[in-house]
Amino acid sequence: MNPTKVNTLTLLLCLLPGVGYLLVFFGLPLVTVVFGSFTSRAPGASPITLDTWITLFSSPVYLDGLWFSLWLGIAPTAVSLLVSLPLSALMQANETSQKLFGTLYRIPLVVPGVVAGFLVLVILDRGGMASRLLMPLGIPMPRLVRDDWGVGAIIASSWKTIPFMTLIIAGAMAAISKDILAAARTLGANRLTVLWRIQLPLAQPGITAAVLLSFIGSLGSYVIPSLLGPAYPLPLSVHMFAEGFQKGNWPMVYAMGTLLSVLAIAVLLAYYAIVGSFSRGSAALTARS
Amino acid sequence: MDASISIRRLTKQFDATTVLKGIDLEIPAGRFLILLGPSGCGKTTLLRTISGITDPSSGEIWLHNKRIDGVAPEKRNFGLVFQTYALFPHMSVEKNVAFGLEMRKVGKAEIVRRVAAALELVGLAHLATRLPKQLSGGQQQRVALARAIVIEPDVLLFDEPLSNLDAKLRDSLREDLRALQQKLGVTSIYVTHDQSEAMALGDEIVVMKDGAIVERGTPIELYRRPKYRFTAEFLGMTNVIAAQIEGETCRLPWGAVCRLENPAETDVEGVAIRPEDLAIVPVEGEHDGVIDQSMFMGAATHYWVKAAGQTLRAIASGGSNAILPAGQKVKLVAPMALHLLKSLGTTP
Repeated sequence: MNPTKVNTLTLLLCLLPGVGYLLVFFGLPLVTVVFGSFTSRAPGASPITLDTWITLFSSPVYLDGLWFSLWLGIAPTAVSLLVSLPLSALMQANETSQKLFGTLYRIPLVVPGVVAGFLVLVILDRGGMASRLLMPLGIPMPRLVRDDWGVGAIIASSWKTIPFMTLIIAGAMAAISKDILAAARTLGANRLTVLWRIQLPLAQPGITAAVLLSFIGSLGSYVIPSLLGPAYPLPLSVHMFAEGFQKGNWPMVYAMGTLLSVLAIAVLLAYYAIVGSFSRGSAALTARS
Repeated sequence: MDASISIRRLTKQFDATTVLKGIDLEIPAGRFLILLGPSGCGKTTLLRTISGITDPSSGEIWLHNKRIDGVAPEKRNFGLVFQTYALFPHMSVEKNVAFGLEMRKVGKAEIVRRVAAALELVGLAHLATRLPKQLSGGQQQRVALARAIVIEPDVLLFDEPLSNLDAKLRDSLREDLRALQQKLGVTSIYVTHDQSEAMALGDEIVVMKDGAIVERGTPIELYRRPKYRFTAEFLGMTNVIAAQIEGETCRLPWGAVCRLENPAETDVEGVAIRPEDLAIVPVEGEHDGVIDQSMFMGAATHYWVKAAGQTLRAIASGGSNAILPAGQKVKLVAPMALHLLKSLGTTP
């Protein structure tokens, strides 16, 4: 088998849990969910109604929740990408770095999200390990858990996402021939230029997959924001739990679920539109010069 | 600039394996030098160390009067051509060639001009906007060549550039390579395991084995008068015959007496007779050997002759004579002067 074939296969296998899951447990029920958001729970009212959607979009609590959900989807993905990209590139540098990082980055893969959440809580909460270490030095511990920006939740999400992203991106980068990287070096590119001009464009399909899967995962995450997030705003995922199990308002659960799904799909489409225009742009540039 | 290369006591270790065992090598400016040897002899490692991609374990590399072994590869201005072509798959042909110039912050108009000139030189101007995957192997290697020469490197390095091509393409690209190098006059180091490629291309050949240099010379010197049996056998077929040395002459096992070119040689393994220098004459009755096998190769016929307990190889060129059958008794005619071969056991 040639390396590109192996790479595609690896990527497909990496995608399978995500994409396969989405199709069977997300795509099919999605129809039911979308339909459910237009039903009414009030006895005697019209069975098909927009009431739930009107409530969702007119309530500042829910709207703040929507923005906060988006924030908790984007921020950990951005942080993870910033760590995973250089980490993946460093792993290609030589065998020693590959062994070192290759072992280290896998550790969070086997730790469940709820455990990661509690780890962050124990370390970063006020009165936690970090604040006790900083206290003798007279440095006050900044509020990182249950803070307004969800920093604790972002740290915990990133901690979970980084190895996952690195696994995919490093795989894509490892498939790039060492000769190609060496050729770029001899032609005058330093390591950073090689990363920017050669490794990133060639690993781009893997990076895309990693970013999308990470974003979609973080967008709907429930455990980490409910443990580490602020009391207000609450992300839609946490609202959904409360609406369903505490208020019995299932049409609202369905509406929020639909909204989250539409957001995920919209981001996916926007991403492809941007990537597509980039490659069209560079192709046009090539044709012109 | 005087782009001579000087390599001093260069070693390279990978974990417990010593790949280069103290290489000393002087390469004059403008020379086309071939590093020839079997796989695993360290020739590619030596080339990559010169390019800067691999760091040596110890020793020095000098470019004229500047020590470069600690210099990053991107600062050396060496062009490297790979066996795998190593083109950037996401860039068009012209972008590939322009890459090195962009790294050197050359102006846009100048880049366009030089890329066009380089592609013209390798005969690919019409494919400038193609992607590498749309080209044949030979075309891809021409792009790689254009990409390496467009930066006007001080030294051109070739790592078995023709090994992935089929035989016909290899021959035509080989001629082009030679012509191009002579035209540019750039110091070139070329790694190969193919002896005919080495002889066709090189001003000079350095034969390597087990991380050390065996010997060095022009193709004719190494082919006609190699010091070592290893060189003789690596540079084409040769018969090594245990002859009885008698002062300035030697007696071959079948009785013929020949003059020696290098009678003073020590640690001798035998005399060398190239198959094309060993003539066979069919005889009846008294004979030196018997034909064991023959193989018709078109331009020549190869014979395996059993003589004095040894199988010798002889090549008869030309097509006028009929092929001699197996079992035919023959007389062997060796050249007037023979060359003694040293055992490699005595090399460093």
